[in-house]
Amino acid sequence: MTMLADRSAEAAINNSADSNKNTVIETSSLYREFGKGDTLVKALTDANITIERGEFTAIIGPSGSGKSTLLQLIGGLDTPTRGDVFLDNKNISHMTGTELSDFRRDHIGFIFQAYNLIPVLSARENIEYIMLLQGISASERKKRVDSIMHAVGLEGLGDRRPAELSGGQQQRVAVARAMVSNPSIILADEPTANLDSKTGADLLDMMKHLNEKQNMTFVFSTHDPKIMERAKRIIRLVDGCVVDDERRG
Amino acid sequence: MTKTTEALTHADKELLNSYSSQQSTLVLRLAKRSIFRNTRRTLLTILLISCSLAAILFTDAFVRGMVDTMVKISTQTFLGEGQIHHKGFREANDIDLYISDTPSLYLQLDEINEIKAYAPRVLSGAMTSSSENVASAIIYGVDADKEAKVSKLKLAITQGEYLSGVDGEIILGEQLADLLEISLGDRVVVTVSEAHGGDLSQALFRVSGLFSFNERTMDIGMAFINLSQGQTLLGINGVHEIALRLQALNQAEDKSLDFWQSLNTKQIETLSWQELVPQLSSMLAMTEYSTLIVSLIMYVLVCLGLINTMFMSIFERQTEFGILLAIGTRSKQLFNQIMLEGLFIGLLSVAVGLFIAFVFCYWGSIVGIDYSELEMSGLTLNEPIYLVLDISSFALMGIATLVVTLISCIYPALHAARLQPSFAMRKTL
Repeated sequence: MTMLADRSAEAAINNSADSNKNTVIETSSLYREFGKGDTLVKALTDANITIERGEFTAIIGPSGSGKSTLLQLIGGLDTPTRGDVFLDNKNISHMTGTELSDFRRDHIGFIFQAYNLIPVLSARENIEYIMLLQGISASERKKRVDSIMHAVGLEGLGDRRPAELSGGQQQRVAVARAMVSNPSIILADEPTANLDSKTGADLLDMMKHLNEKQNMTFVFSTHDPKIMERAKRIIRLVDGCVVDDERRG
Repeated sequence: MTKTTEALTHADKELLNSYSSQQSTLVLRLAKRSIFRNTRRTLLTILLISCSLAAILFTDAFVRGMVDTMVKISTQTFLGEGQIHHKGFREANDIDLYISDTPSLYLQLDEINEIKAYAPRVLSGAMTSSSENVASAIIYGVDADKEAKVSKLKLAITQGEYLSGVDGEIILGEQLADLLEISLGDRVVVTVSEAHGGDLSQALFRVSGLFSFNERTMDIGMAFINLSQGQTLLGINGVHEIALRLQALNQAEDKSLDFWQSLNTKQIETLSWQELVPQLSSMLAMTEYSTLIVSLIMYVLVCLGLINTMFMSIFERQTEFGILLAIGTRSKQLFNQIMLEGLFIGLLSVAVGLFIAFVFCYWGSIVGIDYSELEMSGLTLNEPIYLVLDISSFALMGIATLVVTLISCIYPALHAARLQPSFAMRKTL
């Protein structure tokens, strides 16, 4: 079943125009429903979006509009009721648990609103966690961690546990963790919501810089005007439906 | 070409080994650090498991000590670890059924290495009369020297002297003496039925000593005279019973030993203490069974306590598990992490539990627990119960506790491994 789905997805992609070669995220008639009968909630209805490599996209909308649900489905953290999600031209909707874990590990970086670092690991260990899962050598890990810590301004804080870092520093560690394994997609859920405006703006500038420098694809779910200001593309959701998709020069 | 392929395969294997080792180290590190995140809860859990283990081991050592004490009291007081009788004597209590060929039997007993000592006895129901009262009792004729090596009769003398072999001596239980209202030096007449016909036979004795075994039935119902006078009184040229003291208690259980066969002939039967007092043997077997039940109950409680603790820990860290799963940790790795946490808790608990158990059991084996005057299954525990430390029990229960701990962790670990990241991080992404 999975293979068939993958083949049909591959066929669809091969037949597409050249522009699709750069597509990293594609959702096709995506639905997500919770409950049934009288308690049925349609969190997402017929969402069809395509995101190109290197885009800095913000998904916005009021609370309950389906932003987080869409992000969860794109990240393979939840299973759609109907429809497919293609990441890097692979249909993730039919992958097994282990395949999905490995795919997330190798292709997606997550940044969460509440930082969500592993409290028993130091900042450095949190950053290198994914690389350990990937089996990257110790010397390569050290090189990459040093480099990303320098990039996000965390030099000298590597041995501190999350509880010993400020909110801004924790979120920098989260950004470093998400980016260090060079994933093709970074999904960020309200990354600045728990930060003061200056720290939030600095963090966004840093992410924008990394996006431009490394051509990584960023997708934000946000209410934050600062993110909207910096986004190249804004997708607006209302009641689970995509109502607007604005690209900026 | 082949060489290159082989080299690649070798390199691949090395890479895979390194990959697997890195992941194991990571899981190990996370598990090790996680167990002391909530130090109080972890310590309480360790205390729960270790105290349960210590309680099980203490109970086991106590039961072993109690069994040893009860067997010792039962066998060393008077019974012996085995007894030889003429066939049918025990069932019929017929004084005509005595062992007549004693010299050759004594020679045989002298040559059996497993037998440390033996004490020949004659016995019969008797009427004891003083100037004040009469009472029934069992009169035993014993060889004073040999009896002292088998039973505690000599040690049980509370007033007067032990038998010296002179005719006319009699030792009475303290309570029997009270009943007859006599004391040391007073006269007492013993009347018995003679063997071979049942004619009445009487003899006058002077009380030379009083004894107390701290057991009412013995102290009120037994009297001892010298063996030769007992044989004369009963008109027999032999003995009714030979009590055996063995080199080791466990030889009484091992019926495959040659001497058991050689001492069971057409004429005589030799029985171990388990066969002589089967009610005690059954009670002890039941006691050991009850230890098993107590252990099982303890382990069920440990299981429930640990499952509860692990679930509390998992629910508390649900978001974190969601993150771990979201960023690429496989379910199996998460399962292994929780199991490793359980293993660490189990190892610490077993170490602490064994230490606590050793301290208390060792103390109990030196000082003993005083249950004096408590009567169980017709036996008065007239000496302290000394706990018996058994290394195999410590090893077995330690391993069982570790296994139980790991079994308890399977359900919480499976629960954590099956979490869906979006559900686990409900409030985040």
